[in-house]
Amino acid sequence: MNGRHYAVGVLLIALVVATTGVARGAAPVQLTFTVWSYSNDVILDNIKKFEAKNPGIKVTMNDFAWEKYTDVMTARFVGKTATDLAYSSDHWLQQWAAANWIVPLDDYFPQVATYKPDFAPYATEGMTYKGKLYGLPYYADTIIFIYNEDMLKRAGFTTPPATWDDVTRMALAMKEKKIVEYPIMFQFQDITPWYIEVFLSMVYSFKSYSMFDASLNPTFDREGSAALKVAQWLVDGMRKHKIINPASLETTEIPLVKAMGAGQVAFAVLPKYNLADLNTPGAHAQAGKFKMALMPGETHGTVGFVRFYAMTKMAADRGKDVRDAAWKFLEYFGGRTGGEFVVVKRWALEKGLGFAQLPLYKDPAIRAAINKWGNVTLEEQQSKVARAKEALTPFWGTWSLEFQKELNKALLGQKSALDALKAAAAKWKEMRK
Amino acid sequence: MSLAPLRPRYRESRYAYATVLPVVLLVALFTLYPIAFALATSLREVVLYRPWSTPFVGVKNYLDVIRSDFFLGAWQHTLTFAAGAIPLATALGFAIAHLLNSRTRLASFLNVAILLPWAIPTVISGIIWAWIFNSSYGAFNGALYSLGIIDSYVPWLSRPTTAMLSVLFAHVWKEVPLTSILYLAALQAIPEELYDAARADGAGSGAVLRHVTIPLLLPTTLIIVVYETMVAIVTFDLLYVMTGGGPAGATSLISYYVYNSMFVAFNFGQGAALAVLLAAALVVLITLYLRVLRTEEIYAG
Repeated sequence: MNGRHYAVGVLLIALVVATTGVARGAAPVQLTFTVWSYSNDVILDNIKKFEAKNPGIKVTMNDFAWEKYTDVMTARFVGKTATDLAYSSDHWLQQWAAANWIVPLDDYFPQVATYKPDFAPYATEGMTYKGKLYGLPYYADTIIFIYNEDMLKRAGFTTPPATWDDVTRMALAMKEKKIVEYPIMFQFQDITPWYIEVFLSMVYSFKSYSMFDASLNPTFDREGSAALKVAQWLVDGMRKHKIINPASLETTEIPLVKAMGAGQVAFAVLPKYNLADLNTPGAHAQAGKFKMALMPGETHGTVGFVRFYAMTKMAADRGKDVRDAAWKFLEYFGGRTGGEFVVVKRWALEKGLGFAQLPLYKDPAIRAAINKWGNVTLEEQQSKVARAKEALTPFWGTWSLEFQKELNKALLGQKSALDALKAAAAKWKEMRK
Repeated sequence: MSLAPLRPRYRESRYAYATVLPVVLLVALFTLYPIAFALATSLREVVLYRPWSTPFVGVKNYLDVIRSDFFLGAWQHTLTFAAGAIPLATALGFAIAHLLNSRTRLASFLNVAILLPWAIPTVISGIIWAWIFNSSYGAFNGALYSLGIIDSYVPWLSRPTTAMLSVLFAHVWKEVPLTSILYLAALQAIPEELYDAARADGAGSGAVLRHVTIPLLLPTTLIIVVYETMVAIVTFDLLYVMTGGGPAGATSLISYYVYNSMFVAFNFGQGAALAVLLAAALVVLITLYLRVLRTEEIYAG
C-alpha cells in the first residue's frame, strides 16, 4: 500500500465516522406520551407546536379511555411497554410512585422548585409523594357547590346557603312551595369515583375536617367528627326531611348534570367544570340560571384535585438526552414558555379547564373567559381554601369503594351513620395490614 | 408369532394421535395453560404494583377471600340472581318456543325478531335498561305513570330489592331468545308420529305435553340449564353497567369481586383465588345437574 492509497483510506474512514456521528447527533429523541382521551385534537396540536419549537424531539401520543386508563397504564408499566411521559392523577400517585413507575422531578430537574410557589397548595400536595414533586399540572380543579338561582329566588331567598343548615332550610322551603320535590341530588352510585370526593368536600368545609390522624389511623368514625356530621346530615336529608333525591344512589355525574339542567335539582356538589357546561346557552333547559357558592360550612373548604404530567422510570433510565427532552416537554406543557403558561392557559380558555397555576387568575383573558359562565373571584377564593385528599395510600381507591358502599347502607336505613363509618374505618385498618 | 400384524393398528393409532394433536395443543394452550396459571397465581401473593415480589403463600389467598365479609353476601346475591334467572329464562324460552312452533304466517319473521335482544352486546343492553329504569326520565316510570299505576317516579335502581329485580329482568330479556331458539330447534326435531300416536291413544294436549314433549326436550333442557347457570353465576357486565353493583352492594355478585380484586385492588392472587372458587362452584353445580337430569335413566324409567 503506497502513501496515496493510505491517505485515501484514512480519509474514507474519517468520512464514514464523521457521517455516522452527524447522523447519530441529528437523530431526534423519540418520546412516548400516554394520555386519557380528551380533546385529542388539542393535545396533538400542542405536540406539533412543541416539536416545531424543539426540532430534535419527536413525540408519539397514545390515548386510552379515562375509565380504562389505570388498568392500561398498570399493564404498560408491568409489561415495560415504552412510555416516557404520562398523564397521572393525585389518586394514583402513591401507587405509581411506590411501584417506582414514575420518578420524582426534583431528583432529575432541581429547577422544578421555581414553579412550586405558583401552584395552589392543594395541587402541590396532590403531586407530592414522600416530600418530592412528581409532576407539573395538566389541569387542577375544585369540587364546588352549584345552585339554581331562579329556584332559590322563587323560594324567597336572595343569597345562597352559607352553612349546611341553610341548605336544609332552603331545600325544605322549596319542597313546601312545590318548586321541586327533591331539591338536592348527589352522584352516589356505589362505584362512581366522584362519590368520595363529594363527601370529602363536604367534610373539608368543617373546622376539624381530618379523617385520619398523623399516623393515618382513621378518626372519622368518632363521635363529633366532621365526617359523622356530614353522614348524619345526608341520612337526615334523605330519610327524615326527604329533601335529597333517593335516586342519588343510582346517579353518576352526567345524569346528575342533566337532571340539574332540566330543572329537577336546585342544589348539587360537583366538580367545577360542570358549571361551564350547565351555563352553556342551548345545552340545558335551565342554562344561565346556575351559580356557584363557596362550599357551605364553617370554613368553606373543599377538595381540590390535580391531574399532571409525570416522567416515567423508563424515561429516566434511557439517558441524559431523553431526560433533557422530557424536561423540555414537561416545561412546555405544564410550565412556562417565554414567561407564559402557554398550554395551561389554552386549556383554560378553550375548554374551561381549571388550573393550579395561581398567577393565571390575574390574566385578563382568563378572568373574562371564566366570568362568562362562572365567577372568577369566587373561584379563586374557593381554590385558595381547597385541600388535597388525605391519606392517598396505594389502597385508597379500593377502600373508597368500600366506604361508599357502607355509607349507602346508612342512606338506605340499613345501619346508622355512625355504624357505617365504623365499618368503613374497620375496612381501612384491615386493608392497611 | 410376529409383530408384523400389530403394525397397521399401531400405525393407525399413531395417525389418530397425530390428527388430534393440533387440537389438543390448542386446548392446552388456551384452556389448560390459563387454568394452571390461575391456580399457580392463586397460591402466590401477586399485587400488580409490587411486581418484584410474588412470594408463595399457599392457601392464604383462599382463606382471606373466604373469611372476608363480602364473600357470603356476594354468594347470597349470586345464588338469588341465579335462582331467578335460570327458571325464568328456561320456562319463558320453552313457552315462546311453543308459540313460535305453531305454524303461523309470522313464524319466520318472529324467529329472527326474537333473536335481536340476544344479538345486542351486553354492555349496550345494560345501558338501554339503565335508561329504561331511570328514576328521572325512564320509560318504565313514564309508562306506569301514564297508566296511573304510580303517583310519582320510582327509583327502581336505588332500592336493593327493585334493583335486583330490574337487573334480573334485563338479564332474562337478554337470555330468553337463545333458550327459545334452542327449544324451538328441539321441538321441530320431535317426530309428528309420536304426537299422532299419543292422540290416537286418547291423550289430550296436557298429557301430550307431559308424556311426549317434556321428556323429549330433557336433553335440551339440561344443556339450557347448565348454560344458563354458568351465565347467571359469572355475569358481570350487565350489572356493572346498570347498577355498579349497588345500591350498597345489593347487586354485587361474586364475579364483581373477582373484577374488583384484580382491576381495582390489583391483587391478582386474591382475584385468581376467587376465580378458582367460582369455577369450582360451577363444576359442583353442573355435576349435580348431570346427576339429577340424567336423561338415560329418565327414558329408561
